[in-house]
Amino acid sequence: MKPIVALSRSFLILLNATGFALLCTEASTGQDADGRPAPSVEQVKFFESKIRPVLIQECYGCHSSKTGNAKGGLRLDNEQLMHLGGSSGPAVVPGNVDESLIYNAISYQDFEMPPKKRLSDTIVEDFRKWIEMGAPDPRKTEIAQLRSQISAEDIAQAKREFWAYQKPVMPAIPTIDDESWPRRELDRFVLAGLENAQLSPVADAESSQVLRRLCYDLIGLPPSREQLERFVRAWQKDPDHAVATMVDELLESPQYGERWGRHWLDLARYAESNGREVNMTNPHAWRYRDYVIDSFNVDKPYDRFVQEQIAGDLLPAKNDAQWAQNLIATSFLALGPKSLSERNGAQFAADLADEQLDTTTRVMLGTSVACARCHDHKFEPIPQADYYALAGIFASTETYYGVPASQFGNMGGVQNRNKSNLLRLPIEDPNPFDKTFTSEELEQLTAQMNQARQEIVESRRASSGVGKNSANAKLQIQNVVRIQARMAAISSQLGGVDAQGKPISYCMGVQDRAEPRDARMLVRGEIDQPAQMVPRDFPQVLRDSPVDIAPGSSGRRELANWIASQDNPLTARVMVNRIWQHLLGAGLVASTEDFGSTGQAPSHPELLDYLALKFVDSGWSIKSMIREICTSRTYRLSSAYDLEKFEQDPENRLLWRGTTRQLDAEAIRDSILFVAGRLDLQRPRASEVAKAGYMQVRDGSLINITQLTAFSTDDNGRRDAIREIIQQRAAENSTTIGDRPNDRRRRSRDNLRGMAAGLLNGNSEYTDMVHATYRSVYLPIVRDELPRALDVFDFAEPSMVVGQRETSSTPNQALFMLNNEFVIINSEALAKRVAEATSSPTQRLEQLFQLTYGRSPTTAERSAVRKFVLDFDAHSAAREPPLSTMIALSQALIAAAEFRVID
Amino acid sequence: MQELTSFSRRQLLRSATAGFGYLAFSGLSSFAAAAESGAASNKPLSPKAPHFPARAKRVIFLAMAGAPSHVDTFDYKPQLNEDHGKPGRYGGQLLGSQRKFRQRGQAGLWISDLFPQVAEHADELCLIRSMHCDQPVHPAAQTQMHTGTAQFVRPSLGAWTLYGLGTENESVPGFISLAAPAGSSRNFDSAFLPAIYRGTSVGRASRGGGAGAQQRGVSASVADIRNPGLTSSQQRSQLDLIQALNREQLSHKDHAPEVEGVIESYELAFRMQDAMPDLMDTSNETPETLALYGADGGPTSAFGQQCLMARRFVEAGVRFVEVGNGGWDHHRNLSADLPVSCEKIDKPIAGLLADLKQRDLLKDTLVIWGGEFGRTPAAQGGDGRDHNNKGYTTWMAGGGVQGGLSYGATDEYGYEAVEDACHIHDWHATILHLLGLDHERLTYRYAGRDFRLTNVSGNVLTKILS
Repeated sequence: MKPIVALSRSFLILLNATGFALLCTEASTGQDADGRPAPSVEQVKFFESKIRPVLIQECYGCHSSKTGNAKGGLRLDNEQLMHLGGSSGPAVVPGNVDESLIYNAISYQDFEMPPKKRLSDTIVEDFRKWIEMGAPDPRKTEIAQLRSQISAEDIAQAKREFWAYQKPVMPAIPTIDDESWPRRELDRFVLAGLENAQLSPVADAESSQVLRRLCYDLIGLPPSREQLERFVRAWQKDPDHAVATMVDELLESPQYGERWGRHWLDLARYAESNGREVNMTNPHAWRYRDYVIDSFNVDKPYDRFVQEQIAGDLLPAKNDAQWAQNLIATSFLALGPKSLSERNGAQFAADLADEQLDTTTRVMLGTSVACARCHDHKFEPIPQADYYALAGIFASTETYYGVPASQFGNMGGVQNRNKSNLLRLPIEDPNPFDKTFTSEELEQLTAQMNQARQEIVESRRASSGVGKNSANAKLQIQNVVRIQARMAAISSQLGGVDAQGKPISYCMGVQDRAEPRDARMLVRGEIDQPAQMVPRDFPQVLRDSPVDIAPGSSGRRELANWIASQDNPLTARVMVNRIWQHLLGAGLVASTEDFGSTGQAPSHPELLDYLALKFVDSGWSIKSMIREICTSRTYRLSSAYDLEKFEQDPENRLLWRGTTRQLDAEAIRDSILFVAGRLDLQRPRASEVAKAGYMQVRDGSLINITQLTAFSTDDNGRRDAIREIIQQRAAENSTTIGDRPNDRRRRSRDNLRGMAAGLLNGNSEYTDMVHATYRSVYLPIVRDELPRALDVFDFAEPSMVVGQRETSSTPNQALFMLNNEFVIINSEALAKRVAEATSSPTQRLEQLFQLTYGRSPTTAERSAVRKFVLDFDAHSAAREPPLSTMIALSQALIAAAEFRVID
Repeated sequence: MQELTSFSRRQLLRSATAGFGYLAFSGLSSFAAAAESGAASNKPLSPKAPHFPARAKRVIFLAMAGAPSHVDTFDYKPQLNEDHGKPGRYGGQLLGSQRKFRQRGQAGLWISDLFPQVAEHADELCLIRSMHCDQPVHPAAQTQMHTGTAQFVRPSLGAWTLYGLGTENESVPGFISLAAPAGSSRNFDSAFLPAIYRGTSVGRASRGGGAGAQQRGVSASVADIRNPGLTSSQQRSQLDLIQALNREQLSHKDHAPEVEGVIESYELAFRMQDAMPDLMDTSNETPETLALYGADGGPTSAFGQQCLMARRFVEAGVRFVEVGNGGWDHHRNLSADLPVSCEKIDKPIAGLLADLKQRDLLKDTLVIWGGEFGRTPAAQGGDGRDHNNKGYTTWMAGGGVQGGLSYGATDEYGYEAVEDACHIHDWHATILHLLGLDHERLTYRYAGRDFRLTNVSGNVLTKILS
């Protein structure tokens, strides 16, 4: 076991020298400075006459707090900041000229500063002397000592008194009056609550309603005709048995993981691009998506699932395949949106650790520790020091979210100031989707890179030689940016393959830093306001004793074990509460990400504990918990309204009835495809974003123009290349399984047109994917460019942790249903499907209702449809084929509320 | 009798609790917050009473992406010209402004010759010359300008406004973003607020953004606004059927707010299909009006069209209209390019102010102009200026602000706000205040805490209120 773990580093490509920024380090800051004697009068004089004027005149322009524009995060305004340094490391290490990057820079070694004019040898020599004499600097910043308002006693008291900080205890199973009602033990808790409030549950829902609920809840699709008939028959014999059998069937279907995996992806703020100001694609993010779906399908124990995502890289692995999965799991920490244009490397690192900490604690612990970044938590017993104790663990972790480096280095987009690499998987993807290059192509790419490098040198020379403002200079600068973009594209192509041109498999993820360290607290969370160091640890109110972190490791492994432990008071409760919410409409704790004092108290505290312990006992099996809830009487309740009960409990907190819900975006889109007979259940390979490769998303288009230019620099050549790529893509798309040739031809033609339009007119059609027929979970999730079919129906904002989706009714949804191409295409398919099945108008109507709503039309509906047909045809031009009426009718059924409401 | 009583009680209960059931208001706890803010209503977009009497009823926000130079336009710095060529405080050489400033209007506001026509309205303008924000890069600063923070995904100013006040025209969206730059959807997003408060993007400046896109102006487009195949009367019959099906659903249920919500959304959508294209069709405007905005051709044409459309929208009852304009990032060629940028917008803005005034709309319409930050007094590469977020200028006009006023100041060169500094939070607090909303009370509960636009800061600039 051990060697495998130890090996992990060798598989990394660690060319990334710049992305290395620490919150603080012992060597470069504070403690030694604190104890040093004040500079002597001579030393101050030397500093004031030889050093400070140079700093002001030559450096402050780009490297001071006041500019608001500290390049490389480096600020030289005072001693503290000089020692802290920027993204490349400390600027000054007293007494050590070699480690002082400022000396390195002004003597034009690895860095060249000031960039335009080398300082005189005398000045460089002054700096050497000054550093050697210990860099005496009168410009002191106080290292603040922060004191918490939250005392140890406050924390102890919270542990004693607040339910969520105490471990769950198995409650006594309540006694109830109506012994005939419950099916599972959990029903007894619910019924006890109702009886206690002198309420009684409503009747059970009808069998067809129960089936519809089960199908949407477990696999996100409507029941088929066959399932419906079978279930209704079985229900008549024995409802309990019917439900149990159906639940087992659905849990075994691969569509289950697609449904429940997506719930997790909402929490994990899963996306395939960075979002924000520099929206770089993440072409390997999909591996995490598939990992999550597969984990749900194999019912991976939840504790294991959590451990893998926080510290998969540090877990022992049985074999390389498992190791690869463990690494992919850590994408969880790498997927967040980042401010890639941030100029201050230390700030970037702090924000990255903060995002990881916030996501981890809210998703897995239902607690927002990140509130304590700037001050003690306002509402919870979490002192600011606890934040930095936990942040130290994440800050000791290196995150890989960028592009593979080539022999030319790591180029991650022109505006990206925080470049990063990726993790190389220990086994190559057996079914690689990336392009393979011939040796000829490799040579060509390398030649083009060398040429580009040459061009950039010439361009720079040309622009510096002439007047700054001449038209020519401007042109040259644009040229440089263009060449840089081209170089980045070529580099990522070269980095993506081995020496033979075969694609290398990468993933996003994390590794421990070589030298993990504790973090320094920051006054108000400000990066240049350091305070004392705090040892790495977990929030005191949640743990029993300080953590013992293995030497030389970040503490992530310990964090993962602690979260995924049955002794953690929150982990199991938070997860069963999420499962409950997805099945019953609202959590027992309604605020699913906030189990703290500002969250809502549990409606059934004993039930929550009962379920949490049962969950742990089952080996953290999510499928078992779902089975437990779905086979209960509570799950089966009708959503019927009852005035008296409603008055007493309008929010249905006591669960006297079922909750009516609206389908979410994926279920709506998948259902439309399903009823149209076009849903392709095959998992598509990778993702559209993976096909597009590394690029900055603009214009809602995933066609990577800079990549195309790699092979042709002139405009004509580029146009040819674009055409070729479009045709190639269309051909790939046309091989989707289960298509009729006609559809295929038309779709490839449409795709071609769509992509060409997207490319040439900046049309959003491409990321909208109106012609795709696979399940919605596989649509490209590009931040700020969501497919409209998802966006318009309250899809989870992929930059945020979303435990509960919004459900709104907006005019945009109505416009989508009335006019969107996706709806029209599928209404057409549905109409044809029905028209082909039968020619009798009555039969067609019956079919249509059965397909869309799983029932026959009512009398009122029949007459409404009759009226519609008369009106619609009256408006039609003469001799219009009746199919257009059928299409409009099909669309109306899809558009009406019943299609997207589950009772 | 019994039945009657119970019926009316049910009705009563239904209207009283609709805020809970109505799914657009899905965050249940938000209802309490909404009620507290006076926004209790069973329809999330119905007009709501402000916290206190409002001076402005609607907003037109002219957002200049790229950051216009304040020292060449609205922040007169004679000392900068005097010390031209001397070393700048933070490096580089000071770059005096080549523009001529003179005092304009009765109040004598110093405005440069780049805005000759806007300057005609000097006595309507309140210049805020002490702006500062926390972000030195464009997208982050733009996000902070719109949402208060660049660090998290938060609702935008327009979404908060709509959440607080609702809208007055039920046929058009209450928050419209005209010609928004590509990839800027977070700047008009509703984030955790219900999606109904999100800005509707109209006539994206083409997804390519940039200067070229601004030339093309606004295309009459709201996504999915037109059916490609059906005639209007065919679609009406189709909609009638959809609504008949919905009502049939409703008839089976005693309490189905989710179906009611769907019914309403279809009615609004159908009205939008009619209203939006008409509202966006400026062909019935007189040649004089088009000329007033410069919408009749030349470099002012695109922005003039957009300003005219903004006026049509607010006139129709839209609560918040944002008009985007890009190309202000003058790192180079400042002397040639800045005048070009200003020329494109000077006449349209002057036309907008004049038109609002002559329609008696300016008194309760708040017009806001500004970029995400300003530019350095020191030169960049001889004829350009770098980013400067520590001091810059925005202005407001109309609804409730004192015209002819200069508020706050930067230092003698324009580096940094030194007098009555106005952070973005203060600016937001003031805008909400003018709309009759208390920025500390306009909250929404999300993830266990009450969020607001101004986070934990924000002071209303009481000195600028009229």
